[in-house]
Amino acid sequence: MALTLEIVTPEARVYSDTIDSVVIPTVEGEVGILPGHIPLLTQIADGELRVTKGNEVHFLAVGGGFAEVESDHVRVLAERAITEDKIDEGVVEAALKRAEDQLRSAASADPAEFEYLQEMVRFAGVQLSVKRRRR
Amino acid sequence: MASTRDIRRRIKSVKNTRQITKAMELVAASKMKKAQSVALAGRPYAELMARMLAALADRVEESQHAFLTKRAVHTRGIILVTSDKGLCGPLNANLFKLVLDIKTPAKFAVIGRKGSQFLARTKRDLLADFTVSDRVAFNEVKVVAEFMVKQYIDGIVDTVEVIWPKFKNTLIQVPSIMPLLPLSSVKDAVTGLHTDSGTVPMPKSAVESQMLFEPDASTVLESLLPLYVNRQVFHQVLESKASEHSARMVAMKTAKDNATKLLGDLTLEYNKARQAGITQEILEIAAAQFSAA
Repeated sequence: MALTLEIVTPEARVYSDTIDSVVIPTVEGEVGILPGHIPLLTQIADGELRVTKGNEVHFLAVGGGFAEVESDHVRVLAERAITEDKIDEGVVEAALKRAEDQLRSAASADPAEFEYLQEMVRFAGVQLSVKRRRR
Repeated sequence: MASTRDIRRRIKSVKNTRQITKAMELVAASKMKKAQSVALAGRPYAELMARMLAALADRVEESQHAFLTKRAVHTRGIILVTSDKGLCGPLNANLFKLVLDIKTPAKFAVIGRKGSQFLARTKRDLLADFTVSDRVAFNEVKVVAEFMVKQYIDGIVDTVEVIWPKFKNTLIQVPSIMPLLPLSSVKDAVTGLHTDSGTVPMPKSAVESQMLFEPDASTVLESLLPLYVNRQVFHQVLESKASEHSARMVAMKTAKDNATKLLGDLTLEYNKARQAGITQEILEIAAAQFSAA
């Protein structure tokens, strides 16, 4: 018995594999999915998604979207998703710093932009924590 | 008759034009391929979103959400998707014709420089203009879509519509207008997504009816609908990029063919002029010899 996990973003299919279990960050806390889970549709939060396959554990940073579980298929619809090995720490740190600077200087700016920057900061933080986990 | 030197000069300039248009054609062709593959890469997302919306559609009272309620239309809100650069045949002009047909009050948001120039020229109500890079990122388009949705929620515009060149095939791009908000129904949205992803709806399984929603169905729907709108606009921008590059490729191919034809005509004329010159010279030499003898 195995699960099929699929993660798609508007730009590409990021992940597609057969796995043993997955832990998904949702707005109401982490949800662990094992084979035979009941059908579920839930909203995901920015966070790390943990995939277990055999003895290996993979991490992905995901954000903004939904996850659907149906008869041993897990499908994640995310706005942003990136696998661990694709995260470039230097680039993310630079982006994080830029976004934080802008947040500080433009605290009273357009609320939409403010929200966007906060989102950037949050996701950058998630990416860094995923990347640094291994040490 | 023009002198041989003039003709030679023209041949040279036409040759240059041909070389440039040929290069542009090749560039557009490769960009078009890339744009098409990017548009295809979005298909799994559309398919999955259709599944989720379909699962939600029966569960939720449709009239609750602001996106689904119709109201009296005073001002239309239009997102106009154009290219940044010209030299792509009648692509943008065809879109502008659609814009000119709109007689009711409307406010615009524009993607692409050509569109904002046009709206400024015709003195229409431009709310904001955006540019996107050639390799369109979802984030760039999300900003545009969310801006327009905000205008809709705030009551500044009463509809959100998109005007964009719909990509049919390399030769045909149809300037189209599509209403985005208010959504007529969730079911229509699902059908639209299936068309975009090239899939057929799955038959409803018995399992799906027991699906659990977290936090609950209406909350999930409420956060899924904005994503749907973002995806829709993103898809249309990708399509307009594919249209732009194929229109440019076709326009450049025509230009190149015209240059080749012109070059043939000019070469013929040049040879004629050269021949006439030589004949003239021989005649003069012969005449001179006769008179000397």
